[in-house]
Amino acid sequence: MPLIIKDEYPEKLFREDGKRLDGREKHELRPIKMEVGVLKNADGSAYLEWGNNKIFAAVYGPRDVHPHYLAKPDKGILRVFYRMATFSVFERKRPAPGRREKEISMVLTDCLEPLLFLELYPGNSFEVFINVMNADGGTRCACATVAALALADAGVPMRSLVTAVAVGKIDGELVTDLSGIEDKAGEADLPCAITWFNEEFDGKMDLEEFEKCLTLAKNALTKIHEIQLNVLKNKYIAIQEEYSGGKN
Amino acid sequence: MENEEEELIEETITDNDEDKELPEFDGEDISREVVVPGEVLTEDTKNFLPGRGTIFNKERNKIISLNIGLKQINKNYINVIPLKGFYTPRAGDKVIALVTDKNPVKYRCDINAKDEGVLKPRNTVKRGKTRGFRGGGSESADNSTDKYQIGDILIVKVLSADRLNQPELTTVGQYLGKRRDGIVISIDPPKIPRVIGRNGSMIKMLKNLTKSNIFVTQNGRIWLKGENIAYERLLIDAIKKIEREAHTVGLTDRITKYIDNEKKIRGIN
Repeated sequence: MPLIIKDEYPEKLFREDGKRLDGREKHELRPIKMEVGVLKNADGSAYLEWGNNKIFAAVYGPRDVHPHYLAKPDKGILRVFYRMATFSVFERKRPAPGRREKEISMVLTDCLEPLLFLELYPGNSFEVFINVMNADGGTRCACATVAALALADAGVPMRSLVTAVAVGKIDGELVTDLSGIEDKAGEADLPCAITWFNEEFDGKMDLEEFEKCLTLAKNALTKIHEIQLNVLKNKYIAIQEEYSGGKN
Repeated sequence: MENEEEELIEETITDNDEDKELPEFDGEDISREVVVPGEVLTEDTKNFLPGRGTIFNKERNKIISLNIGLKQINKNYINVIPLKGFYTPRAGDKVIALVTDKNPVKYRCDINAKDEGVLKPRNTVKRGKTRGFRGGGSESADNSTDKYQIGDILIVKVLSADRLNQPELTTVGQYLGKRRDGIVISIDPPKIPRVIGRNGSMIKMLKNLTKSNIFVTQNGRIWLKGENIAYERLLIDAIKKIEREAHTVGLTDRITKYIDNEKKIRGIN
């Protein structure tokens, strides 16, 4: 007999001591762990753990476009494939890409495309495959972050990295980095991606709150960006340090 | 006739001249500072100009890096030497190609670039010698794709390459042609200059210590053949070590020590 669990949300999203349900402060981020170069067969790859989100990204390219009619004669194309594993959410997710996945893939493409010099690779494509192994709110932000890391790891020339985080409104208060429950039960959710190329929005907020959100996001993003930079550099610096000690 | 050519190649390969090392990986004058895409290299745009792997930002008041790599200042240019990347064919490069397909008009070769290389039969035979009064050479040799088979390993030269068309290749020239033996390994193309070393120092050292023939090509593939399998294994391990530590200081000395050590451990003299 199938187990039936009602989709229930807690009435209050703040605990009595003013902290959030998972014990965070209002503007505290979930713990983030990143890694690059995790997949051997991809040109570039990255892995991200952001709270309970676990995401792999792999980059291939530049290479031929299949199907060929998608190729453009004057510039290259970027294709992003966002997919969720069947076991990534509580109820089994159907493996076929649905409306949501296609939309997020498109959003991520728009987010990453301005960074690349696609005009240098006419008729070719870069492909980013993102697989969400475990989802707990804010996966699209996490995906933008990890996709940028994988692109940089592949050695694709880029104008900058992308960093993304969600800010939102729960129980009438603005918070940073919403978790799954807060995302569903809260009032608004604003995923923001720096380098300020793309902003996405759905929910109820007035303009002042919106502005406030953006500043909040900026603060959080600076922190995440620093982690990104360190992760990328450490891959090489670690090897340098291994031998600099012996030399001096 | 063909066999003679082959033998010639085998003889000359022992003293193949090393490609000159690109100046960017020169040991001392390069800082070992790792930079990542989007990182600001300098805000002093009056004295510096963006060189390779760098760009002005929109307001033209900063120079930012495009690649993950090492920062280098050359006169008034700021460059970033990439640590990872792909091979872009340029005319004149010698590369190792794998024949993946052929038809009566041309061969298609995998050269580890975004496009497949095209090798036309007229670029596989020497011209001018057999043509003339006597004999005249057979025309068919010029125009058929019988010389090489699918799966052959060739050392080829890039005749022409740009970003729109497929690169055109040739097998006519010194050291070029089919390889019948040896091993081909591939590493990251940006790290090839380190395997060659400054003025070929690294490659000379590798050859002397492991008594092997090595042919390093710009597309990240390395052809090697040693006296026996033990030397070849040692050489491959050494090259993988060079690839991993390409961005560190004092690499040649360290690799020398490594090979000496490994020889003792593995019992090769």
